[in-house]
Amino acid sequence: MSDRYLNLVNSPLGSAVATRVGLPKPAVLRRYKSGDPILPGPVLIGATTGRVKASLIKLVTAAGADVRAAETEGDRWGALIFDATAVATPADLAGIREFFSGRLRSLLPSGRVLVLGRAADGADITVDATRQALDGIVRSLAKELQRGSTANLLLVEDEASLGSALRFFLSGKSAYVDGQPLVLGAGVAPAPKDWDQPLAGKTALVTGAARGIGAAIAAVLARDGARVIVADLQQAGEALAKVANRIGGTALHLDVAAPTAPEKLLTYLQAQTDGLDILVHNAGITRDKLLANMKPEQWDSVIAVNLQSQLSINAALLGSSLLRDQGRVVCLSSTTGFSGNRGQTNYGATKSGVIGLVRSSAAAFAAHGDSTINAVAPGFIDTEMTAKMPLATREVARRLSSLQQAGLPIDVAEAISWLASPGAGGVNGQTLRVCGQNLVGA
Amino acid sequence: MPALTQPPALGSLYAKAGLFGQLHRGSTLPDSVYTLADQSIDPSHLLAYQKVCGFRVTDVLPPTYLHMLAFPLSVALMTERAFPFPLIGLVHVANTITVARPVLMSETVSLRVNAENLREHPAGRQLDLVASATVDGEVVWSSRSAYLRRGGSPKSSGAPKSSGAPKRASAAPVVGPASLVKVPDDIGRRYGAVSGDRNPIHLYGVTAKLFGFPSAIAHGMWLKARTLAALEGRLAESFTVDVAFKTPVLLPSTIAIAAAATDDGWALDVRSAKNGKPHLTGTVSR
Amino acid sequence: MEKKVTVKTRRAAIVGGNRIPFARSNGKYSHASNQDMLTAAIDGLVARFGLQGEQVGEVAAGAVLKHSRDFNLTRESVLGSTLAPTTPAYDVQQACGTGLETAILVANKIALGQIDSAIAGGVDTTSDAPIAVNEGLREVLLDVNRAKSVPDRLKALTGLRPNQLVPTIPQNSEPRTGLSMGEHQAITTQEWGISREAQDELAAASHRHLAAAYDRGFFDDLVTPFLGLTRDQNLRPDTTVEKLSKLAPVFGTRLPGGVEGATMTAANSTPLTDGASVVLLASDEWAAEHKLPVLAHFVDGETAAVDYVHGDRKADGLLMAPVYAVPRLLARNGLTLQDFDFYEIHEAFASTVLTTLKAWEDAEFCKQYLGLDAPLGSIDRAKLNVNGSSLAAGHPFAATGGRIVASLAKMIHENGGGRGLISICAAGGQGVVAILEA
Repeated sequence: MSDRYLNLVNSPLGSAVATRVGLPKPAVLRRYKSGDPILPGPVLIGATTGRVKASLIKLVTAAGADVRAAETEGDRWGALIFDATAVATPADLAGIREFFSGRLRSLLPSGRVLVLGRAADGADITVDATRQALDGIVRSLAKELQRGSTANLLLVEDEASLGSALRFFLSGKSAYVDGQPLVLGAGVAPAPKDWDQPLAGKTALVTGAARGIGAAIAAVLARDGARVIVADLQQAGEALAKVANRIGGTALHLDVAAPTAPEKLLTYLQAQTDGLDILVHNAGITRDKLLANMKPEQWDSVIAVNLQSQLSINAALLGSSLLRDQGRVVCLSSTTGFSGNRGQTNYGATKSGVIGLVRSSAAAFAAHGDSTINAVAPGFIDTEMTAKMPLATREVARRLSSLQQAGLPIDVAEAISWLASPGAGGVNGQTLRVCGQNLVGA
Repeated sequence: MPALTQPPALGSLYAKAGLFGQLHRGSTLPDSVYTLADQSIDPSHLLAYQKVCGFRVTDVLPPTYLHMLAFPLSVALMTERAFPFPLIGLVHVANTITVARPVLMSETVSLRVNAENLREHPAGRQLDLVASATVDGEVVWSSRSAYLRRGGSPKSSGAPKSSGAPKRASAAPVVGPASLVKVPDDIGRRYGAVSGDRNPIHLYGVTAKLFGFPSAIAHGMWLKARTLAALEGRLAESFTVDVAFKTPVLLPSTIAIAAAATDDGWALDVRSAKNGKPHLTGTVSR
Repeated sequence: MEKKVTVKTRRAAIVGGNRIPFARSNGKYSHASNQDMLTAAIDGLVARFGLQGEQVGEVAAGAVLKHSRDFNLTRESVLGSTLAPTTPAYDVQQACGTGLETAILVANKIALGQIDSAIAGGVDTTSDAPIAVNEGLREVLLDVNRAKSVPDRLKALTGLRPNQLVPTIPQNSEPRTGLSMGEHQAITTQEWGISREAQDELAAASHRHLAAAYDRGFFDDLVTPFLGLTRDQNLRPDTTVEKLSKLAPVFGTRLPGGVEGATMTAANSTPLTDGASVVLLASDEWAAEHKLPVLAHFVDGETAAVDYVHGDRKADGLLMAPVYAVPRLLARNGLTLQDFDFYEIHEAFASTVLTTLKAWEDAEFCKQYLGLDAPLGSIDRAKLNVNGSSLAAGHPFAATGGRIVASLAKMIHENGGGRGLISICAAGGQGVVAILEA
């Protein structure tokens, strides 16, 4: 469903009116289109040490960005990157202020701010406190940025996935990822042969793929080169077949909550694939009710579909040889999993549960041929489901993020496709929010 | 002997029958022989006949077709002054057709009709109208129709309500799988238009009532033709089909046509699908 | 001179199938055409097996009730589907045997190596049925069309009669006998002495089995919902023999010469239904190359016909042709009737199935009409239509063959092997039967 308000304030007359009366002015976000440059302008890189590592420049350049060594008057930046991995004391943080403060105004619309840091590791209190401070800087900076620009924090423990992460976070693929920290660890993360087809040769399965976010995920995985199996309930088969045929995929009727689902899935994979490379646990339902009024079946069905099914299917996959080496599992969580939501104790339970699931499963998947498991937590995304919300509620919900608009299913799908790509092998056990830095539960 | 060059017009013959019908008297048949030589078949007429009777459209004449061509000759004979009975009131009770060989639409046929065999019958008196068709002198087809004049005197009514046919449904079993055929209420008018036999008892309920029938009735020769059409593909090249007409088919109606295989052909049984009253029985034999 | 040709053959595999749920006449699909439904069934199959843009060897399908505009129904459906537009297709029509006959045709071509893959199927709608203009009106209009001048046209138009404006609805009756299929079967039912109770029991079992099959997900990879319908509309899981016993008979009540004690009701006869089904067949090699499963193989097929018009009232019933086809098929394959793990006998009417079984058990009949020294014998009824059949699912004439072939292939696969017999009776006194095995 189109965002009429967003379209209005981006029209000449609407823009003028919105400015006068102080209404929010959401920007039209820059989203990925094949063939577009990765950024709308050049990149300036700074570092705590005062000297930018050549390896970083090389990676950013390889991503297709125009990295400037020197600055001239009137430069307008597509992205500002600051390497703060070396911060050790609170005094070191001043360098960040110094790098950004004079340049933020020259950031182009839908520009990118990336801060590279390191995760606190408990070795030194002062260092950890300083590293943790980066989180507050980036989250606050993200709220300060305007015109569709975003700020994110990459905690680089290992550079295995840094190149791949840079490509994602600088490009339009991360349009709705804002104010988020993400740990880049060690892992097997080979570069794809073709960055435009990072999933070429991969077999992917997306559950709940008949419509909405699931259908978008399937489409993006297919766009990125994967052979996609789309799964959903038999009852959704009509829409599912259309999705499969649109993306050149295969439809599978599967009730993930059925006790027989893991076995059915394995049987299917055995018969009709050479193994699975990518699994996206997208199937999910809501049965909203205040806890005081919640019926057992409302509770049980949500737990079964949104959480238990993921646990059961993961266990079955790990116990088989059908998840191939460097497999990728991406689970759907939700910002509700962080913030909670009135009337969603059951749903909230599952979405928090998924965050725990991926964190605790990471080691097991790493041990299974260097595979990974991560989650994506969407915020307010415009789908058929939200289209049914009352107008006022929807309009308010849409503005409750730093980007002052709802995300699109494709934004979730892009994040998932990146996490599912070979290059993201260093990201494991994490939950990435795709929420436009939603003010609720941020 | 009347050797005609074109078929007599049935309309004027019927008018003549209506006007002068009561003048017929006598106890012998005229020995007239009516002939109509070298008739070619009108394809559009044949087509209309095949359609109204349920035959396939083909260049082979249906077994009953030549009977229809010869019929005006029969009527001409029966409306002769010397014919002993008025035409109106004669009941067609039976017909036997022998097909010596299939006759093609392209052939030129010569027709011959005479009357013979006036005889006593429990219900009155009977006689036969005999017709034949030749192609180049070879008899390819013949027909014998038995007509009944009810009662001893030519004055009695012609409606078949008094005797002869059984009043109740026959208890005889259906001899084979039956075909149900819907007979629409305009079949008499449609067959009349093709055959030229526009006897009022076949046309409308009103006109049929004038002659004592509760509604219009189907032509006997249409019924026979329709019955043979149901045996499409099952008739030999040459055969004799012998039928007796029982109760008339009151229009509209649904009839059940049954045909059971016999040693040398078929046993036929046509009756009302509604009440089982027999309309026609007969045999097809080699 | 006789020329000896050696032909190498291979087995045709059944990869899988797809159908849309069957809808009751004038139900969910009342505005869907044959082409709409067949295209949906093909597209569902394409989605299931990832055949988008694939040029399949050929697509053979058909419909019993067809509009004249659907002269190229299957090809048009292929063009509207996501298969490669270069996929050839043709229509087949053998009444209710259409679906199975298409499978026999393409299986034979695969066996001969003429094609490597094919889709067989069928579709029928009794809701969006063709309505013909009155025969008289049709002839007048054609005459007008043929007339060359305006006066000739006007003259042709004078042939019009008011009663010709009433349209002709297609009749569900045999053209040569004027009897509906139900009336024919009523005669057979009486001749063979099939009881009302036995018919109702078979009908109730059909519903029970179909409901159970849906509940256990048997149809998850055989059925793709269409127009909001997710299960067969005719299915009544709560059907009991007791409920069925209360229904009044509908067939055999108006027959001349009489069927006494009519037993066939709306529940132990299949209702008019709309739907479509397709089956994917291929060589084993093609399936392996496409990483697709082989559920079963198509072994052999046979077709027979009876003279229901003029034949014996008991032995030549309209729907009894499979009784004759099966022994021929068994003999050719060196099998007995008991050599099967599954029997799929199409439930045109409950009494059709029961008559078929009874005839095979009847020593005198088998001797006199089938020329057998011993009767074919009885079957283990626990192996009959185990996942329900047409009484519960419905019977969109040409779609039934595809439904049965795909379901039976899956049963054999689930069973880990085995052999199944298919028997389908058809209008015109025909019967199409086939053997599948692992």
